Amino acid sequence: MPDDAPHEETLELAGGRVHLFRGGAGEPVLFLHAAGGAGEWNEFHGLLADAGFAVVAPDHPGFGKTDDFPDVEAIDDLVYHYLDVMDALGLRRPHVVGGSFGGWIAAELAVAAPDRIGSLVLLSAAGLRLPDHPVPDLFAMTPGQLVTTLFHNPPPPPPPPAQGAPPDFDAILAAYRDASALARFCWSPYLCNPKLERRLHRIKAPTLVVAPSDDRLIPIAHARRYASLIPSARFTEIADCGHAMYFECPAEFANITAAFLAEHSLADNALATSGLPNGVSR
Amino acid sequence: MRFSFFHLMPYPYLPDDFEENYTSSSLTFPNKLFDPKLGVQLYKRYLDELEYADHLGFDGIAVNEHHQSAYGLMPSPNIMAAALARRTEKARIMVLGNAIGIRGNPLRVAEEIAMLDLMSDGRVDSGFVRGIGWEYFGHSISPTRSRARFNEAHDLIIKAWTAEEMFQWVSPNYEYRYVNLWPRPLQQPHPPIYIPGAGSTETMRFCASHRYTYMSVYAPTRVVRMWFDGYRRAAAELGYVPDPEKIALSIPVYVGESDSRAHRDARPAVEWLFRKGLKIPGELASPPGYMSAGSLRGVLSAGMKPFSQLGYEELLEHGYAVVGGPDTVARRLREMYDDLGGYGQLIALFAIGPTTHEQILRSAELFATEVMPVLRPLA
Repeated sequence: MPDDAPHEETLELAGGRVHLFRGGAGEPVLFLHAAGGAGEWNEFHGLLADAGFAVVAPDHPGFGKTDDFPDVEAIDDLVYHYLDVMDALGLRRPHVVGGSFGGWIAAELAVAAPDRIGSLVLLSAAGLRLPDHPVPDLFAMTPGQLVTTLFHNPPPPPPPPAQGAPPDFDAILAAYRDASALARFCWSPYLCNPKLERRLHRIKAPTLVVAPSDDRLIPIAHARRYASLIPSARFTEIADCGHAMYFECPAEFANITAAFLAEHSLADNALATSGLPNGVSR
Repeated sequence: MRFSFFHLMPYPYLPDDFEENYTSSSLTFPNKLFDPKLGVQLYKRYLDELEYADHLGFDGIAVNEHHQSAYGLMPSPNIMAAALARRTEKARIMVLGNAIGIRGNPLRVAEEIAMLDLMSDGRVDSGFVRGIGWEYFGHSISPTRSRARFNEAHDLIIKAWTAEEMFQWVSPNYEYRYVNLWPRPLQQPHPPIYIPGAGSTETMRFCASHRYTYMSVYAPTRVVRMWFDGYRRAAAELGYVPDPEKIALSIPVYVGESDSRAHRDARPAVEWLFRKGLKIPGELASPPGYMSAGSLRGVLSAGMKPFSQLGYEELLEHGYAVVGGPDTVARRLREMYDDLGGYGQLIALFAIGPTTHEQILRSAELFATEVMPVLRPLA
């Protein structure tokens, strides 16, 4: 097996075990998944790895196969959690890419530790509170409503289970666990940190803000606000795509992300390659 | 056996197209459909019914807390209890209960129950509930904190009632630098506590460890049996057998002059309750984090049908409700006593949907005069 084939790893931290996927070779990319998609290495990750990047995709606390980390209670704890993850993985200054909920974490990480981020890509990031552009309550949606909200072209519904087939308790419990972890971090304030907006000026990394053209969950005004408040951010829209983004249009999202990361190679950035003084990363 | 008259205070005037065009009677059901003039009449009527139950000799009269809902019109059960405290004489005033999981300031609950205890001369029973899933949406409280908030609020309230010196309270969800309750409750060490359970093993253990009364909620007899057994098992693990009175069956009951008259009157109310009053999408009923993994697995394993899929006959057959003439009701509750491994309290929901004042008074009267004497010696 070539060493850039995707594989799974477990990272031991003080508070528990983090499950992650790793694939590809090249400059490191820390990928922070959306509310959906924990425990998955999908087409988008593969394309990004194929484009010449070493992609590291951990499951968030309480999601997928990562432990609960009950002490990680809120977004500020998630920031410290990911600083711990980066330290444990030896990621001094990686590219950071985050989608939706993961985009929010990525933005907070870049605010808290601007010198630890090589470049930043926010894919329709949650995290801002814009009362004029509210995010609909995904916790209140039926599965059907969720699909129509997330996709520009909703996929056909899955075939109904065979008559008399017992429900898959493990699958239901796994989905409930992911949703519970999301609720832990963003029930109230809903999917946002009201203080984030006024802190975005701290971000130093070159930043690409990407919005799907037909985002029915996080209105495009959120992406525009991110782009206007992050110094030197660039804004791009991807046509005919919904909030499902890299699930609905994996090639488009992988291409635009890979192009931006290549353009902002860590090798070109003096800070990215210089070692941190001893002790700083801990 | 002890008997209580429990009032839901429903708002029964739902639009004719409710079942087709409204997803729920709670949280998102438009409040423009609430007519305050009808509300005045309903409150007067419903309080009269509770007072009449005291007059009839029920051991308790019960109210509860629900928010943003046509299912029940009591966002504050303590206000209803206060009204009852001044107009009743003998019955226990049962608040079943305060939803301490969603209260921003649980110390207020300790204060209000203490006031009620004094106003009623020590007749208050204090139930604590977590609050139903939709209420975590309505009050913007994270369901992932529900269990912790409930436990902390409970511990704070008990300590506030019983401490004889001012104290400081610090727990993950609450901080009070000065807890010094004025007034203190009359009953010592504090009013009796009731906790409804819906299959959560945490709740069974919690109730058993504090020796609180464990009461059922809407479910078929076979499932309530599992819950009661769970409570009895939790007590056994602690080395004791619970008093019969600590196990309470809570169930809709309607008594008519005869079986046929009872069904004619009660059928619309029972159907209203399970098809309309309790209509709530699963997403709003069980938000993420509201249940532990173990409890969710238990609920899934119980395999209960959604309420809306249960027909009237099925509801009666499986023990979701009891309807009939006095003999039938007494016989059915006796059967359920055996099927459930016993219970020492019956908390009967008499007013659950569209009924007339006269129907409810007559049902309660028939129950008090013809059913209670038959069942009284059971426990």
